[in-house]
Amino acid sequence: MSQRYYEFFCPVKVIAGKAALEHIPYELSGLGVGRPLLITDKGVRAAGLLEPVLEACEEGGQEIVTIYDDVPPDSSTHVVKDIAGIYRSEQCDSIIAVGGGSAIDTAKAVNILVSEGGDDLSAYAGAGVLTSPLKPFFVVPTTAGTGSEVTSVAVIADTEKSVKLPFTSSFLLPDAAIIDPRMTLTLPPHITAATGMDALTHATEAFTCMAKNPLSDAYATAAVKKISTHLLKVMDNPKNTDSRLELAEASTMAGIAFSNSMVGLVHALGHATGAICHLPHGLCMSLYLPYVLEYNLETIREPLGELLLYMAGPDVYATTPANRRAEECISAIRKLRDALYQHCKLPRTLQETGKVEQDQLERIARLALDDGSIMFNPREVTLDDAMAVLKRAWG
Amino acid sequence: MLAKPLRPMALQARRLYVELMFQVMGRALQGISEVDQAARDEARELPEGFLFEMMVRPNGPSLVVEHLGGGRFHYHGDNPPRPVDLSIQFKHIAHAFLVVSFQEKTSEAFAHDRMLVDGDISYALRMTRILNRLEVFILPKLVASRAVKEYPANLKLPQKVLSAARIYLKVATQFFDTARAS
Repeated sequence: MSQRYYEFFCPVKVIAGKAALEHIPYELSGLGVGRPLLITDKGVRAAGLLEPVLEACEEGGQEIVTIYDDVPPDSSTHVVKDIAGIYRSEQCDSIIAVGGGSAIDTAKAVNILVSEGGDDLSAYAGAGVLTSPLKPFFVVPTTAGTGSEVTSVAVIADTEKSVKLPFTSSFLLPDAAIIDPRMTLTLPPHITAATGMDALTHATEAFTCMAKNPLSDAYATAAVKKISTHLLKVMDNPKNTDSRLELAEASTMAGIAFSNSMVGLVHALGHATGAICHLPHGLCMSLYLPYVLEYNLETIREPLGELLLYMAGPDVYATTPANRRAEECISAIRKLRDALYQHCKLPRTLQETGKVEQDQLERIARLALDDGSIMFNPREVTLDDAMAVLKRAWG
Repeated sequence: MLAKPLRPMALQARRLYVELMFQVMGRALQGISEVDQAARDEARELPEGFLFEMMVRPNGPSLVVEHLGGGRFHYHGDNPPRPVDLSIQFKHIAHAFLVVSFQEKTSEAFAHDRMLVDGDISYALRMTRILNRLEVFILPKLVASRAVKEYPANLKLPQKVLSAARIYLKVATQFFDTARAS
C-alpha cells in the first residue's frame, strides 16, 4: 500500500486584482470590526504606499484608528509589546499589516499578544501553543516574494536573550490577503528581482522537496509559470501593472505551496547566510537555487524535469529529451539569473555579493545543518555536502 | 469472520511492539553514545542535563534520555526526572508503528505531519541525525536503507558489524540489569 499522505490547509481569503484595496472596508465590516490598527514601516510610508490604502478606507467610510509605521527590518519583542500597548490604549479591534516580511511577522506577533493577553510574547513561542482564533487580521503585501500573507509562521527576535523566537500556528494566518498591483508598482529593480527569485525558490523547493503533495504542486507550478513569464517583463517595464499583479499572485501562490509542503536546503543555507552575513533573504535564495538543485539532481530528476514545462514553456519542454529536462530546467534558472544580473546586477555567486568571506563558509554550513528546512530536503545533507554546495556557489 | 475478534489482539501486539522498540532505542541511544565518536560529537552540542523524549500522543509509549555531557546519554526509561527540554511526539500509535517497523523513514514521518516537535528544532535535527546513525549501525543494510534518507556510502561493513555488536551488547546488558533489579 502506498505510504502517501499529506495535509493541506489555507483558509486565507485572497482578494486580488484591480481596486483590491477598496474591498478592505467591506471585508472589515463583514467580520464585525471597524477600529483597525495599521502596522507598517518607514520605507512603505516613504514610498507613498500608505496613501492608496488610507484613501481606499476613507472613501469607503472606514476609519483607520491609528498607524504604527516604525517596524524595523528585524523586529523584536520590544517593538511587538509597544504596538500591542497602542492597540489596547486605542481600543482597536483588528489589525492591518502593510509591508514585507518584517511588518507582517510583527503584526502576527502583535495579534498574539492582543488576543491572548499579557506582554510576554515568549510564552507563546513554538508550535501549536495557540489554541483559539486571534483578532481579525488583514495583510497587504508590498513585495512579491515572501508569501508571508499565507504562511502560519512568524519569527521575532528576543533581544534580551539574543534568540529568535519562532511562532507556528494556523491561527496566525490572516483572515484576508489583499493583493493589489499598486502596492508593488514602485518596487526598485533589485528588490523586484530578489523577491521574484525568492518566490521562484519557494515554488521550486515546494515542488521538489519531501513534503510535496498534489495540491501544493498545483500552486507551485502555476507560480513558476507566472514568474518565468512575467519577472523579466517587469524588469523591462516596471510600470507594467498586469505583470506586477501576476508576480504578486505568484508570490502568494508560492507561499501557499511552500507553507503546505515545506522547503529544503536552499532555505537552510539561505537562513544561515542571512544570519551570518546579513544578506537579504531573496538574494540568498537566488544565490543558492541552481547549486542546490544540482546537488539534489538525482533524487529530484523527475519533478525537476516536469518543472521545465512551467519554467521554459511547452516548446522547449517538447524539444528537450526526457532525460535532459531536469538539467535544462536548472539551465533555464541560470539564464534567468544571468538576465537579472544584466538588469540590476543581482549577484549570482557569493563572491559577487562582496559581503561574504571564504572563511565564513564553514560557519554557514554548520548553521545550515541545524536549520529546520533541511529535514525536508530530499537528500541527507552532511557537513561535507553543504561545504561542497557553498564552494560551488562561491563562484 | 475470524478477522474481527483478532483485530484487538493485532492492535495490542502493535502497541507492545512499539513499546519494545522504544525500550531498545532508548538503551541503544545510550549505547551508541558510549561506542561511537561521531554520535558523541553530534550529541556534545546539546546542553548538559538536556532531556530528550520521544513519545506517542497522548499517553502512549515513550523513551527519555538525558545528555550527561561530553556527548554521553543516559536512558531514563519512560519517566523523565523533570520536565523535558525536547519532545518529539507521534500523533498516533499507528504512526509510531510505521516508523519503528521501518515502513516510513523518520524524515518522511516529519514530512507527512505524523510527528510534532516541542522544543528547539535544531536540537530535534541533531537527535534525528543520531537516531539515523544508530539505525544504520544496528539494522541490516537493506532495512536501514528503508529507515534513513541515505545510507552512508562511507560506512564499511567491519565498522558497522563491530559497532552494532558493541551497541547490542550494551542494550542486552541494560535489559539484564533492569530485569535483575526488578
